[in-house]
Amino acid sequence: MSKPIFKEVDDLPTGGLTVTALKSLDFLIPGQWQNLTGFDNTIRAVTGETDEALIQQIGERAVALYNDKSQGYQRALWLYETVESGSGLLGAAALANRIGQDSFLGFLKNITPKPEKAQSIDLCVKLVTELVAFCQINGIPGDSIGDFLAALGDYSGESLMRMAALVSFDGVIPLGPEFANKALSIFDSTSPQELEGNQTYKSVQELIPGGGSSEKKGFITKSFDSTKNWMQSFVSAKNVTREGLLSRLKGFIDFTDDKADYVGALLDMNVKYYRHTGLQTLARRLVERAVAEI
Amino acid sequence: MVSIRLRKVFVPVVVSLSLMTVACAPEPPSRYDQVQKETSQKGSSAVSKEAINGSKLNRYFPKSGSGFAVVPSQEKKGFAEHKVSRGGKNVAVLSINDTISNPSAAEKYQQSSVKIGGFPAVEQGQNGTGVLVGDRFQVKAQSRDPSFTKQDRAAWIQKFDLNGLSTLK
Repeated sequence: MSKPIFKEVDDLPTGGLTVTALKSLDFLIPGQWQNLTGFDNTIRAVTGETDEALIQQIGERAVALYNDKSQGYQRALWLYETVESGSGLLGAAALANRIGQDSFLGFLKNITPKPEKAQSIDLCVKLVTELVAFCQINGIPGDSIGDFLAALGDYSGESLMRMAALVSFDGVIPLGPEFANKALSIFDSTSPQELEGNQTYKSVQELIPGGGSSEKKGFITKSFDSTKNWMQSFVSAKNVTREGLLSRLKGFIDFTDDKADYVGALLDMNVKYYRHTGLQTLARRLVERAVAEI
Repeated sequence: MVSIRLRKVFVPVVVSLSLMTVACAPEPPSRYDQVQKETSQKGSSAVSKEAINGSKLNRYFPKSGSGFAVVPSQEKKGFAEHKVSRGGKNVAVLSINDTISNPSAAEKYQQSSVKIGGFPAVEQGQNGTGVLVGDRFQVKAQSRDPSFTKQDRAAWIQKFDLNGLSTLK
């Protein structure tokens, strides 16, 4: 049996590397993301209700909806979790032990920055995962890119933070400000066989629309191409630069400029922002539905 | 001297023992344990197979106008939700759900003496107003900002095509 949804939301961390890394992005979307944790807290924040009996009723309906597998919520959480674990190799605990120690820079030497190709595939697959998870949660058919785009313009709170983190941690830091065009052209030149060899793709490919890897690749390319403009205007409107992001990260990770290349890899392995904010989005939408249905 | 040494040994032992007890203790009970047990059993479902698809409910919602934007935000089996925003800020949520999946939601309207748009209405909590249409579909307006009042909720519920919805089978 999977872990109950109230437990998942109650167990969301209030601190640690993921939360700190996300907080470092507040300057991109000031005040938009509060780290909302706790199942009952989420119910109170979403509905504004304070009556305990009513909160209980809303919570019970939310638990029932989540547990009904046909409703897609469990699959969405699985997607958010899986797309991130595909690239992670070392646990946050291992890193936490090293931070602040003299051996930290030595530890960095053991991390190899990802090649641009793997990074580009990761970025494209993560974006498509957002599209598929969005549809699992909100119910718009899986191949409706138009609805997704309309909703993307309307993204707020933790969903917007997830996109800001995707653009920053998986786009600008590893690939530079021109990351969107770069990733798309690299992804386009990737063969379906190469795609099948990518760990991130492999982990979630069964839920990407399309018959085989060739069709799935087409779907990913189309989705990425459609959201490219949104990502590019986000970067230019907020003036997101590699240097700017790195200087904010320096506030909590100690590294020298010549090690900046490794920061992308480091974040990739230890910052689980997709799962963290994905679960927050899911909980919010689930509560919205539950309160409407009781 | 002896007592200091004893304390030096005793305190860490007690601390580690209590930590172990906490770490090994079973999960604290939750107010949702019962519903979790009931709904995680095989064959249990929260949404009826007979529930109307959300895509069929969208047409009964009010449209954007007078400075308010109404945007569809969820569409699931037996459920559709649209968000109401003014000046880019979400002020309310409108929804229709098919109570065939959860008949207890429809029961509360039996005691209602108030009507909105000719249908039995209830106030729920501080921020919600609902009506039951055709003894089956629950239409709700919920405030998400203090500027959207109880009166606004009643007014917006009347903007739905309630009579059209009452004939939906």
